[in-house]
Amino acid sequence: MTQDESRAGSGREVREAAATRASIAVRPDEFQHGASGKREKVFEMKGVEVLYSGVSAVKGISMDVHRNDVTALIGPSGCGKSTLLRCLNRMNDLIPDADVQGELLYHGEDLYGPNVDPVQVRKLIGMVFQKPNPFPKSIYDNVAFGPRILGRKDDLDATVERALRGAALWDEVKDRLDSNAFGLSGGQQQRLCIARCIAVEPDTILMDEPCSALDPISTGKIEDLMIELKEEFSIVIVTHNMQQAARVSDRTAFLMVELDADEQNRWGRLVEYDETEKIFTNPSDKRTEDYVSGKVG
Amino acid sequence: MAEGVRVQYQEELERLEASALGGLDMVSAALERTLEAIEHQDVELAQLVVADDDRIDGRYLEVHQSLIALLATQSPVATDLRLISALLHVLKSIERMGDQCVNICKMIPLSGNEPPADREMVKLILSMGAQTKTLISQAKRAFEGRDVELARDLVRQDDVVDNLNRECFRLALEIGDDADKREWAMTMLLAARAIERIADNAVDIGEQVAFVVTGLFREFEDASHPSQ
Repeated sequence: MTQDESRAGSGREVREAAATRASIAVRPDEFQHGASGKREKVFEMKGVEVLYSGVSAVKGISMDVHRNDVTALIGPSGCGKSTLLRCLNRMNDLIPDADVQGELLYHGEDLYGPNVDPVQVRKLIGMVFQKPNPFPKSIYDNVAFGPRILGRKDDLDATVERALRGAALWDEVKDRLDSNAFGLSGGQQQRLCIARCIAVEPDTILMDEPCSALDPISTGKIEDLMIELKEEFSIVIVTHNMQQAARVSDRTAFLMVELDADEQNRWGRLVEYDETEKIFTNPSDKRTEDYVSGKVG
Repeated sequence: MAEGVRVQYQEELERLEASALGGLDMVSAALERTLEAIEHQDVELAQLVVADDDRIDGRYLEVHQSLIALLATQSPVATDLRLISALLHVLKSIERMGDQCVNICKMIPLSGNEPPADREMVKLILSMGAQTKTLISQAKRAFEGRDVELARDLVRQDDVVDNLNRECFRLALEIGDDADKREWAMTMLLAARAIERIADNAVDIGEQVAFVVTGLFREFEDASHPSQ
């Protein structure tokens, strides 16, 4: 069995195990594009609204995220792009008084359905944060953490190596796997966090400004990595760097802040969602044009 | 949202557009002199046009360099990106139009120092030139006003030039057996062809107007398929 086959097998195993514990699961047959060539949807959002203590942070979000795409969410500060991203793996559940309304389907099933286990969701939909946040453990233990929790202790060395290779970090750390992860550079730490994320073989990776704390070289490595990772995973990325969105994403969603009539309340609204090339060469909406051109901020 | 961000970049882009389109005025002046040199068989004026082409080439180099710098430093996108792409094409067209004037003017001494051999043919070429000047100024107005309809109308105007060019060809065939006259007519045919190409370049600029406005590049349907 080749390495890739073993990975595919173990991924299916995890997903099948997940199916027994929660109604949310990715069925292997859903992983293929249909005969019609129609793009498979990972997320389907219809009128999604997120409220904190009854106040809208984003509303009226309707968009589909496709499998094996890098989907970028861009927009000015406060437009709710991180809020929207956090909805996609139920991270907002951890915030008291946060409420998600509207329809949010993951592989056709209600992500906020009553029988859905949020922990299971976060295993299938991993997240990488703005600031690298390795555990105060060795490089090896950071990557092995997830698989160990899941009880997948067989062949852990191979799992760790696969994940580190997948995150383009293996060659840099293979001789010091027992070293503390804090000894890595910022860029390496972020790739370690990506390795930790993919070690549990998720289906989708959410990235919240993953390069904003990194220098251009490390940023370039992460961007190259994203393009490699999308072969296997679907990626949704929030970024303030529009050129990054242009470089790495297939589709881009532009959100902006909307105010009510008396300018007392503000919330995020999806203005335009299209192929990235279209957004950056000939956007349909004037507001998108002004934002991507840097004329308004 | 704060309005008026990146003001200097916007001003620089506007300045470069004005400078690039200003090249069309320079071409129009060069064509005017070229026509005068043809009409009066004025070799000295022709030499002046040749020398003056350095100014058009200089404008091309200066604006081209500045546009590349904007691409490198400002990462323009959307309409700005289309505008810069279009201006690079427009500059190339302007440079070629200037070269066509030079080509004509270099031929004028070859046709001798005698007065033009056939007034009717000269008249046709002057009409072609006048019509081409109209196209040049219309292309400039269409670009400045982002006026796709005006740009499209260049195709119709160009048909007039094409027809006059064909008429020149017919006259050359009928010019008679005199060897000197025939040689002169051949030279004038080349001049007519050069003017016809200048008009085509004006249509090309019109196509760039449509690209800036719509984001789609399509040759205007009749531009490369003359109606006759």
